[in-house]
Amino acid sequence: MEPLTVPATLDDLEILADFVIQAARAAGLEKKPAYRLRLAVDEIATNIVTHGYQEMGLVGDITIYADMDEETLTITLEDNAVPYNPLEEAEVTEEDLHKPLEERKIGGLGIFLTLRGVDRFTYERMNNRNCNIFTMRRPSSGANP
Amino acid sequence: MALTITTEVKGTEAFLTLVGQLDSAAAPSFREAVDQVFSHPEKPSKLVIIMNGLEYMASAGLRGLVFAKQKAGSNVPIVLSGVTEEVYETIEMTGFHHSVEIVEKYE
Repeated sequence: MEPLTVPATLDDLEILADFVIQAARAAGLEKKPAYRLRLAVDEIATNIVTHGYQEMGLVGDITIYADMDEETLTITLEDNAVPYNPLEEAEVTEEDLHKPLEERKIGGLGIFLTLRGVDRFTYERMNNRNCNIFTMRRPSSGANP
Repeated sequence: MALTITTEVKGTEAFLTLVGQLDSAAAPSFREAVDQVFSHPEKPSKLVIIMNGLEYMASAGLRGLVFAKQKAGSNVPIVLSGVTEEVYETIEMTGFHHSVEIVEKYE
């Protein structure tokens, strides 16, 4: 699939969602892994828009890439907002997950769902750009168990 | 893709029907609907959120549920009805199923 660049606003993130849904279909992902990948990309893209751009008073865009080989589908989000590593967000602990809703902390759920949802997530800062990389294993074909 | 929210009050129970996608762009309108339900002079005795048509929910939607729970207080239960498998996975993974009631169909 050709990479796609969208303005970094919450309203434009559904374009990224459509891109991920199409890529997941092309890679033959099952319904649930496809949903989890879409959720992960959406959560990180939301963080890029709000923490990377809007809170800093910046405007910009996000570019999305899909790469497939026999075993994996890789989605990459690239932006030129301030350096922002989602893995440095405070981790949601097992204790947090058992707290009643009214006592929940507001942050951290997005990255938690991201890390639980994809097979591999990495963050890199390269050439003044943030790269968030999501990898999913493709279902193995019968001939290649 | 977008979110349609329908609000209905039957007796003392309030119903919100969500259809579409509850992502970060749609979350403010969900919170607004919750806020309206609870700013009614007679506070509802229960909030039922009908989710059969909710195809997608991001963490912004979970934060909306936290907001609803805070508005409702501990004596007013929140019921999620007809949650799809994928949305349920998110609710369970984050432990939210301990704090809300989940039913297949509310009657």
